[in-house]
Amino acid sequence: MAAADSPSTALRRRDLCSRGIRLAGKMRADVIDLLDAYVEQQGLDASASVAAVEGMPLAAVERWDEQTGTQRLLENLAAYRAFHALLAQMLEEQREQLGEADAGLGRALAAVLLQVSAFAYHLEELLRLENRGIPGEEEDGPPPPPRLSLFEQKLRGLGVLRELAQWAVRSVRDLRQLAKPSPATGAAPGLADSP
Amino acid sequence: MFSRWNWVACGFYLVLNICSPDASGGLVQSCGHIIPESPVLALGSNFTALCILNESCLDFGNIYASQIIWKIKNRLVPKEQYREINRTVSSVTFNDTSSLATPLTCNILADGQIEQNIYGITVTVGLAPEKPKNLSCIVHQVSRFTYVMTCTWNPGRHTFLDTQFRLRYSWPEEIFPDCIPKDVNNSCTVTDIQFFVNTEIWVEATNALGKAESDPLVVDPIDIVKPLPPQNVSVSSGVLPTVLKLCWENWISDAVMTLKFNIRYRIVGDTNWMEVPSEDTASPRTSFSVQGLRPYTEYVFSIRCMKEDGVGYWSDWSEEKTGITTEEQPSKGPPIWRIIDTSHSPACWTVHLIWKALKPFEANGVILQYELTVRDKSSLSNPVKKYNVTSTNHTLELPEGTYEVTLIARNSVGASPPSVLLIPASNSKAPVKNLRALPKHDKLWVGWTAPNSYVLKYVIEWCLVSSSSNCIIEWQIALGDVQGIDLKGIKPFKCYLITVYPLYADGQGSGQSVKAYLKQDRPSKGPTVQTKKVGKAEAVLTWNHLTVEEQNGFIRNYTILYKTIDGNETVVTVDPSKTEYTLSSLTSDTLYTVRMMASTDNGSRTGPDFTFTTQKFGKGEIEAIVVPVCLAFLLIVLLGVLFCFNKRDLIKKHIWPIVPDPSKSNIAQWSPQVPAKHNFNSKDQMYPEGSFTDVSVVEIEADDKKSFSEQDLKPFDLLKKEKSTSEGHSSGIGGSSCMSSPRQSVSDSDEGETAQNTSSTVQYSTVVLNGYRDQTPVQVFSRSESTQPLLDSEERSEDHAGGADSTAQRQQYFRQNGGQDETNTDRPCFERTKQITHANEGDLVGFVQLQISGQSSQPLGLGMEKNTQESALSSVLQTCTEGQTVRPETVEENPLSVDEMPKSYLPQTVRQGGYMPQ
Repeated sequence: MAAADSPSTALRRRDLCSRGIRLAGKMRADVIDLLDAYVEQQGLDASASVAAVEGMPLAAVERWDEQTGTQRLLENLAAYRAFHALLAQMLEEQREQLGEADAGLGRALAAVLLQVSAFAYHLEELLRLENRGIPGEEEDGPPPPPRLSLFEQKLRGLGVLRELAQWAVRSVRDLRQLAKPSPATGAAPGLADSP
Repeated sequence: MFSRWNWVACGFYLVLNICSPDASGGLVQSCGHIIPESPVLALGSNFTALCILNESCLDFGNIYASQIIWKIKNRLVPKEQYREINRTVSSVTFNDTSSLATPLTCNILADGQIEQNIYGITVTVGLAPEKPKNLSCIVHQVSRFTYVMTCTWNPGRHTFLDTQFRLRYSWPEEIFPDCIPKDVNNSCTVTDIQFFVNTEIWVEATNALGKAESDPLVVDPIDIVKPLPPQNVSVSSGVLPTVLKLCWENWISDAVMTLKFNIRYRIVGDTNWMEVPSEDTASPRTSFSVQGLRPYTEYVFSIRCMKEDGVGYWSDWSEEKTGITTEEQPSKGPPIWRIIDTSHSPACWTVHLIWKALKPFEANGVILQYELTVRDKSSLSNPVKKYNVTSTNHTLELPEGTYEVTLIARNSVGASPPSVLLIPASNSKAPVKNLRALPKHDKLWVGWTAPNSYVLKYVIEWCLVSSSSNCIIEWQIALGDVQGIDLKGIKPFKCYLITVYPLYADGQGSGQSVKAYLKQDRPSKGPTVQTKKVGKAEAVLTWNHLTVEEQNGFIRNYTILYKTIDGNETVVTVDPSKTEYTLSSLTSDTLYTVRMMASTDNGSRTGPDFTFTTQKFGKGEIEAIVVPVCLAFLLIVLLGVLFCFNKRDLIKKHIWPIVPDPSKSNIAQWSPQVPAKHNFNSKDQMYPEGSFTDVSVVEIEADDKKSFSEQDLKPFDLLKKEKSTSEGHSSGIGGSSCMSSPRQSVSDSDEGETAQNTSSTVQYSTVVLNGYRDQTPVQVFSRSESTQPLLDSEERSEDHAGGADSTAQRQQYFRQNGGQDETNTDRPCFERTKQITHANEGDLVGFVQLQISGQSSQPLGLGMEKNTQESALSSVLQTCTEGQTVRPETVEENPLSVDEMPKSYLPQTVRQGGYMPQ
C-alpha cells in the first residue's frame, strides 16, 4: 500500500506530519503555560500528585518503538478525542466556577481545546492517507463522569493537562517516526508493517 | 342629475373606505392593494406590478380596473404600460427598473375626473453583490501569545442596497464564528487564530438581491504571520576594536515558529545602512557578533525577524540601538603644511606649521597629542627640536634654511605613522603647468599638468578673496599621481584664489595661482558712474571697480549707456580693467543721462543713473570772444580818453558852462531888471493879474497855413522889420526864437499832417511884460500851447543842458517874447545851423511864412544876439537864414533831426523862466 503512494500523497503525508509535529509542539508549550496558570488560578500545588483520570489514555507505553504507524495514529487519535471531551468538560466547569471572572484561563483552555481538535484532524487525515477507516466516535460519547467535588474537579483538570503535555511530547515523536522516509519506498516505516 | 349625485356618493364612499376604521380591527380598509408589496428590484431588470381592487368597492362605487392609473412619484405612467387583466386587476410593466422611483401608486379616476389614490408601494432598486475578490490575510503578532488575523478583500461594485459582508473561516471539522466587519466592508480581523491547521477562509456578501462568495483562501495561519520584532536589543563592544555584539529577545516561542533574522547597521551620522549577510543570520538565535567595523566608531543597529522557512512576513525593524567600538592606534599621520612669513626679515622665517586633524576613521580614537620634530637639514650639528602640541598648528621662528618636519598623532592605544614635510630654503623646483579651475557637478575642480619631474604630492591652497578681510588659507594634500581634485567647502558666487605647489622628494616647486568661482551670478550692484570732466562735445566718465564681494563673478566688461532726454540710448562697451572713459561727439549744452552696467558670464547689473549737461562753449571759445571784446572796449575807452583829453576845453565848457554875469548882460540893459530867482510854483505868482500889459495872440491853423491873408501876416512883417532894425537889443527875443521857432515853423506851416496828429490847432502867444511903474523887472515869456512832439526834444535838450527839472520843462512851453538878457546861446544855434547846411540855399520860399508860424526867427534872434556879443551879425544872419529856409524839408525827411534843437533851448529857457543854475 505504501509502495503505491503517489508523490502527492507522500508530499501530503509529509506536510501533515510536519504540521502535526509543530502543532503538537505548540500544544505542549501552550499546555505547559496553561498548567502554570491553572495551578496558580486553582490554588493547587504544582507538585501535587494526581491519580489517573478515568477515560484518559496514558502516553507512556511499553515497546513504543515497536509500534506500527497505524497503531500510533490510532492511539493518538483515541487519546486526543478523549482529551477533547475532557477539556470541553473542564472548560464548562471552569465557566460555571469562575464565570467571566478569569477569561484568560478560559481562553487558554479553549485554545488548547482547539489545538487538540486540530491535532485530531491531522491524525484523521493521516489515517485517510493510509486508507484506513477512521474509527467513529462513540455515539453517546464517554460515559458521563461521576459527579466530583470542586477540589476533585481541580485535581482532575490538573491531571488532564499534565497528561496532555505528555501526549504532546509523544505525538511529536510518533509523527517524526511516521515522517521518516522508508529506505525502500519512501513510505513511513511504521506503516508498512501495520496490522 | 342622478349620475352626478351617484359619483359624489361614490367618492364619499372611497374616502370612507380608506379613512374609516375597519370593523375587523384594521385602521384602514383600502379599496385595493399592489402586488408585490415594497419590492427590491435589480437595477436594469423589468418589473410588473398589479393593482387589485376590492370587490366591495366595485359593487358600491362602480370602480373598475379600467379606471386605474399608475403614478411614479406623482408622475403619470404612460398608459401603454398598463394592462387590464380583468375588471379588478390592472398591471403596469417597466422594462427598465432604473426609471422607477418611489412611491409607485395605483390611483383611480372616479367619474373620469376625480383622481383618488388606491394604494402605493415603495420600490427599492439596487444590485446584487459582486463576488468579493483579492482576499488576503495576514496574522499580526500583537503580544507574546496573542495573534490576530486581518483579512482584506475587494468588495466589488456599489450595490445601492444594504449589503452585509462576513468573513468566514473553518477547519474541515470545525466552523468558527463569522467575522463581521465594523464600519467597513472590505476587511475584518479575527482574534481566535490557531496555527498548524489549514484554515479555509472566504468572504460572503449578502443583500436583498442575492449572495456572493469569494474564492476560498486555504492557509495555515502560521504561514502568514508577521511577528513582532526582536525586543530588548543591546549592543556591547568586545575585545577587538572591530567587533560589536548584539543580543536580543524573541517574542515568539520556538514552539510556534523558529525565526531567521536580518541585522542592519550604520555609522552614527551616516544615512546608509549596511546589512549583515542574511545567510549568517538565517537560524534561530538571540545574539550575533558583527565584525569588520571601524575602531572607535559609533554604530546604530536594528534587527528584524520572520519565520525561518521564509514563509510569511518580515517583522518591522526593531528599535535602534547604538554601540561604539574600542580604540585602535591611528592609521596614518596627519597631513601637514606650512606658511612661511618672511615679512620681518628675509633671513628669519616665521614658520606656521599647520596640520589637519585626522578623520575619525583614521584617528581610531581620541588624539591626545601631536609630536612635532623639526630637523635642520642644512646644518647637521643643530639638535633636533621636539614639540608636543595638542592643537593643530604650531609657529616656529627659524633662520632661513632647509628643514624636515615630522609629525605624529598619538591616541590612548598608540602613535600614528609619521608625516614628513620638507621645507626647502627656496621653492626652486619646477611648478605645475596649465593650472585651471572649473566647476564640475557643483564642485570646484582644480586641475593641472604635472611637471616633468616626479612629484611626491601636491599641496593645494585656496582662500576666499575678500576686500574687507585677509585671505584665510585652506589647503589640501593630493597624491603625486593625481592631476586634479575637487575642492570642498567652496561657496558659490565667491571668488577663490587657488595655488598649487608640487612637493618633490628633495624640494618644493613654486606655487601657481588661479582665481575661480564655483558658480557665478550677475553682480549684486552696478558701478556708480560720474563725470570727471565735461566739455562741449565730450565728457570724461569715471567709476570705481566693484568690490570682489559685489562682483559675484568675473567682470567681463562694463557697458556705458547714455542718452539725451529724448534721444536714443547709445551703448559703449568698455574693458573691465578701465575706470575711466571719454564720451565724445556729444551735443553741446545738452542734458545727458548715463548709467553703467557691469556684466559677468551670468548676467549684468546696472548702476544708478547720472546726469550731466555738456557745456555751451568749448574750451577757449569764451576767451576767444571775451578777450577781443575787452580789448576793443579798452581801445575805444582809450581813444575816448584821448579824444576827451584833446577836447578837454570843449568838454569843460559843457560840464561847467560859463555862467554869464547877469549884471553884464546886454538884455539887462535892454529890459527891466530880472530878479535873480523866480518862483514857479504858482502861475499867479509868476504872472500876477494885471501884470500883462501887452498881449498879442496869433492863431494859425496848422493845416491851412495858406489861408492866411497878407493882412494877417503884416504884423509879423512888421515885427521882422522891427527885429531887423533893433538887432542890438533884441538878442533875448532872438535867442528865444532861435530856440523854438524852427520847430514851430515845421509844425505849423509845413508839417500839416504831423501837427494834426497832435493838435489841429496850435496856439502861440507872445506875452510881453513891461515894467510896472518901474519897480519890477518885466518878464517876457513866449508861450506855446502846442502839443507837438517838441517835448521829447526838449527833454533831451534838458539832458544836454545838464539838470533842468520838470518845472523847467514846463517852462519851456513859454516863449519869451520880451527881452531877455540871454547870452551864450550861440552854440546850440551853431550846431543846428550846421545840421541844416545841406539844405537847398535857394529854397527861401517859406522864409516869411516861417517867421509867421514860428513867431520869430530864432536863428535870426540868436544870430542877432551873437552878433551883438561877438560882432558877426552878418555872417550869422546868413547862416540862420539858410537854416530857416531849409527847415521844413529837413523835418519832413528826418523829423528826429529837430530833436537836437532844444540843446540850445534849455539854458535859455531856464534863464527865461528865472531858473538860474547856482
